[in-house]
Amino acid sequence: MISLQLLTSSPNPSSLHTSSPNVFISPQPLNRKTLKPSKPYYKNKPYTTIQSVLQWNRKPQLAGETPRVVVITSGKGGVGKTTTTANVGLSLARLDFSVVAIDADVGLRNLDLLLGLENRVNYTAVEVLNGDCRLDQALVRDKRWSNFELLCISKPRSKLPLGFGGKALIWLVDALKSRQEGCPDFILIDCPAGIDAGFITAITPANEAVIVTTPDITSLRDADRVTGLLECDGIKDIKMIVNRVRTDLIRGEDMMSVLDIQEMLGLPLLGVIPEDAEVIRSTNRGYPLVLNKPPTLAGLAFEQAAWRLVEQDSMKAVMLEEEPKKRGFFSFFGG
Amino acid sequence: MRASMASISTQQFQSVSLRPSTCISKHGICLNVLEFRSELRLSSRYLKWSRRKTERNFSVGANSSPVNSDDDKRVEDEVVKMERNIVDSENPFGRLRGSITSLPPVVFVMKRHIGTNFAVGMCIAIAFLIIAVREYVARKSRYNRPGSVADLVKRGQLRSDRRGISSPLKYDDPFNNPLVKVGKSNSTIEMCGKVYRLAPVTLTEEQQSIHQKRRSRAYQWKRPTMFIKEGDSIPQDVDPDTVRWIPANHPFATTVSDIDEDLAQNNVYQKHGVPFRIKAEHEALQRKLEALQSVLLEIQRLHTPVTISSSI
Repeated sequence: MISLQLLTSSPNPSSLHTSSPNVFISPQPLNRKTLKPSKPYYKNKPYTTIQSVLQWNRKPQLAGETPRVVVITSGKGGVGKTTTTANVGLSLARLDFSVVAIDADVGLRNLDLLLGLENRVNYTAVEVLNGDCRLDQALVRDKRWSNFELLCISKPRSKLPLGFGGKALIWLVDALKSRQEGCPDFILIDCPAGIDAGFITAITPANEAVIVTTPDITSLRDADRVTGLLECDGIKDIKMIVNRVRTDLIRGEDMMSVLDIQEMLGLPLLGVIPEDAEVIRSTNRGYPLVLNKPPTLAGLAFEQAAWRLVEQDSMKAVMLEEEPKKRGFFSFFGG
Repeated sequence: MRASMASISTQQFQSVSLRPSTCISKHGICLNVLEFRSELRLSSRYLKWSRRKTERNFSVGANSSPVNSDDDKRVEDEVVKMERNIVDSENPFGRLRGSITSLPPVVFVMKRHIGTNFAVGMCIAIAFLIIAVREYVARKSRYNRPGSVADLVKRGQLRSDRRGISSPLKYDDPFNNPLVKVGKSNSTIEMCGKVYRLAPVTLTEEQQSIHQKRRSRAYQWKRPTMFIKEGDSIPQDVDPDTVRWIPANHPFATTVSDIDEDLAQNNVYQKHGVPFRIKAEHEALQRKLEALQSVLLEIQRLHTPVTISSSI
């Protein structure tokens, strides 16, 4: 995946940043100066020590104007919109960007559950509109990453008054822009399934979109239709995340490969998320995947997608299939 | 009788010919046995002579072998005896079985050549030694003191560079960490211990624009901006494409709103102070209380002169 960064033709500041560790590693005198290998232990591996120091200090370069209002949609239900919103949102928060996630799934909200914040949602946007509370009271701040906030549109079993249409969300975004703490860097909107009133409301304030799809034809047809609707609405920056990819099935040609999907939809790829049992576990725990230690395969893929979202980058290479590990000559002896 | 003997002898010969050729060529004893058999096959008249010959051969073979043991000799004698008994019996099947069982097992034959056996044994021992050493080295490298700090760092549980720093880590690099490694030729990536093959994305700008055109032809859509109750007519000067009717029993949406647009907007933009409705309710309660108080005061005022007058 680093090849994505290395192969980018545009002069991206991050790609310059990427190459910097190599520059620092190579010269020997620098190592001697900084490390002073008085202990013989460090003599053999100065490189690894420096690498481990440098590799955690990269940060993606934020592209575009803030706040970046991103709607995460799919058309079809159950493809992982809410999971994507939770994980990408928390990844962005970990990258030190302030994030507000809006759960616009009016009737069937679940984002609070995924984030483990369900007991802390007292007020929603409907209460803000009615004047029962202020906006800052309705925002639920995550205790793990304090620059991540959640806003639910309405409580379950209550209805969203559509008298103002999507204007209400535009007001909310405007109010977030002009708040005292400063404008959030990202506003992620978790869109409901379908292309009903909820979808229309959710896409109203957005200026970019992420289409989540799975490698099956039902989801692809819906994704294509939703992309068409978004383009009609004037949202041009549309990228896709292919979720629940199984490389073993792709290898057996039982599942469409990511490149096939891209050929069908013609959208740039923001990320490819492999199928991972950890997703279900983390959903049940209310603890997003990206906070797992040690990181999981799907969690890493979400983090990479978040990184690309920040840099407005897209994937330049995709994982196709699992390659059997090269084994030694005596590997059949159990080595 | 002779014909039946001949047929049996051919069977015997076939069964003998199945034996490994190495054994026949390397070990003299096998040849002896074969010879002995062929003599048996010819005629029962020569049985006595052939028996004698076989025994002699055995003794010669035993003398010529570098290491001779009494056990081996006894075994061979027993085999010969058994064979003799079987041949003497008239039952052809018994003879056949006897001929099969009479073949000395390879183990006994191999025992005679301790030199080659020693070499084979050495090879096997060396192979086992190599396996054991490799396994030991692999285990040692894999579990380098399990539970140690180095092991935790290797497994990604602990950061080697952040030990002792209590503040949470802010920047995680998902492209360059111990769990994500790009191959030397940029064609593979190792994630969480699994190596994946990479393929370049071939989507071009032209293809994207072709897809956009296709979609713009296929999906003509205008975002609805007006939501009205089912049954209501479209207002004047409104594009019918932008109107959406919401049924009264829609599970998640309603067109009914008890506050007007400006008020809602103000509510959203409010940053400080008491929220509008709370304030309004509070004021209403206040007013109600004041009204009640005023009424109470009025009643008190009305009642006070009465009590005074009654006291007077």
